[in-house]
Amino acid sequence: MTRKPRKGSPTSWTGFGPYLRGVREDKAAHDRAFSLRQVAGRIEVEPAYLSKVERGEVAPPSEAKIRALAKDLQQDPDVLLAMAGKVSAELREIIRKRPKEFGELIRQLRDAPDHAILRIARQVRDGEW
Amino acid sequence: MIELQDDRLLVSFPELHRDAQCRVSFVRTLRIPDDNRTYPLPAALGRFPLHHVDDFANNVPREWLEHGGVLFPMYQSEAMWIHFGRPSGCPFAIKVAAGKINAVSGRDWSPGLEGSPQNYMVIPAQPWLDGFSVHKGLIRQFVAMPLGEGFTAEEQLTGKASHGGLQIQVFPMRSECYQELLKRRATTRETFSFGLRSARSTVGSESMGLAPGGLMRQEIYEDPHGLDVWDTTRAARCFVHLVNSVAYREITGCAPPTEPVTADHYREAFIPWFEYYGGDAKALEGAPRLAELDSVAAKTIKKGGKSAEPVVLVDEAKIVKLRPRSTGAVREGSAW
Repeated sequence: MTRKPRKGSPTSWTGFGPYLRGVREDKAAHDRAFSLRQVAGRIEVEPAYLSKVERGEVAPPSEAKIRALAKDLQQDPDVLLAMAGKVSAELREIIRKRPKEFGELIRQLRDAPDHAILRIARQVRDGEW
Repeated sequence: MIELQDDRLLVSFPELHRDAQCRVSFVRTLRIPDDNRTYPLPAALGRFPLHHVDDFANNVPREWLEHGGVLFPMYQSEAMWIHFGRPSGCPFAIKVAAGKINAVSGRDWSPGLEGSPQNYMVIPAQPWLDGFSVHKGLIRQFVAMPLGEGFTAEEQLTGKASHGGLQIQVFPMRSECYQELLKRRATTRETFSFGLRSARSTVGSESMGLAPGGLMRQEIYEDPHGLDVWDTTRAARCFVHLVNSVAYREITGCAPPTEPVTADHYREAFIPWFEYYGGDAKALEGAPRLAELDSVAAKTIKKGGKSAEPVVLVDEAKIVKLRPRSTGAVREGSAW
């Protein structure tokens, strides 16, 4: 009998739980709607499970739950997914369709500053009028 | 630079400041009766879908490719308002024209900002624009009409149907002025959160322009910062092409949005009306040139037609009042 490997190494997500907890507790300090129990209720998980996630005792939840957390805590979903050692299904699909081109693009942009990357984002073209 | 994001124009100046970002969206709404009575602000009923013109280079008129920009579909006589969103703290000056007629000053399109008469709006003071500024505190609603039939503001003022569509130009605040503003905010705890209403040689026959519709109570606010704070060297602009719903399907292959909501639907769904009070902001006078335009109903009658305006009863006691600091208020209608 083989053991099923866990997705992602622990080192790829150890910062996720504490970060999540920090964000939630900051909000909870001003708004009781961000208590562990209430946030867990809104994203439809058990409070005990969310507590374990925050303490880094279990792997981060699914992409859907991370997205729900991001929405609830007003965080960028791509950033939260990255902290959880995940890449969104949407981005995976984009790369899967043109792996060579996007692989090369991402390598070339690895060390580029943020503003240079933002310029590459598709712009609405302005013409003559 | 301008990007398309979730059917909104995301305008940013990353080289200036990471806060220098705002969003412009085009919002479906109820067409108010064009009967010379004044109405409050109707709700948002979803955003119009936006597309890059370049994505349909083989299907759009040549002029559209020269203009660049984006396109979205509107039904004839459908109404629209423009929502200015600002995810960060940075103010912007925004110019809006329809058929290259400035919607605030009534003057022909010119590239820069003008202070007298003011030809732009400032966000966040101005969260939305619903139409042509005709008098102090009154606009005539933006209503889509086919180009070439004489209804649009452009055709009434120039006698030609040369441009159509909408033209948007956004100017960021000069970096040093923004830094000063941040310092002032830090000391005065100034906040700018506001209540959301939660968005030719004749060109092709599919092109639409905007005509003045019914009268609505909306103020256009005076620039509280002064003309000198705006960085006119870095403006971003976008030509927004309006296409009728039939041509939209032919151009994009996409189904157009559902037909516009009627006054009956609006009433039956208990969708609210809104008033917005800009606090201490001073309202501009309307543009005399725009005040002289015929509304769609008036033009229809002049052309020998009959104008059948729907009866809309607004319960003044139930109008939702929005103020600059009423966070959480949303100018949104329910699903329909």
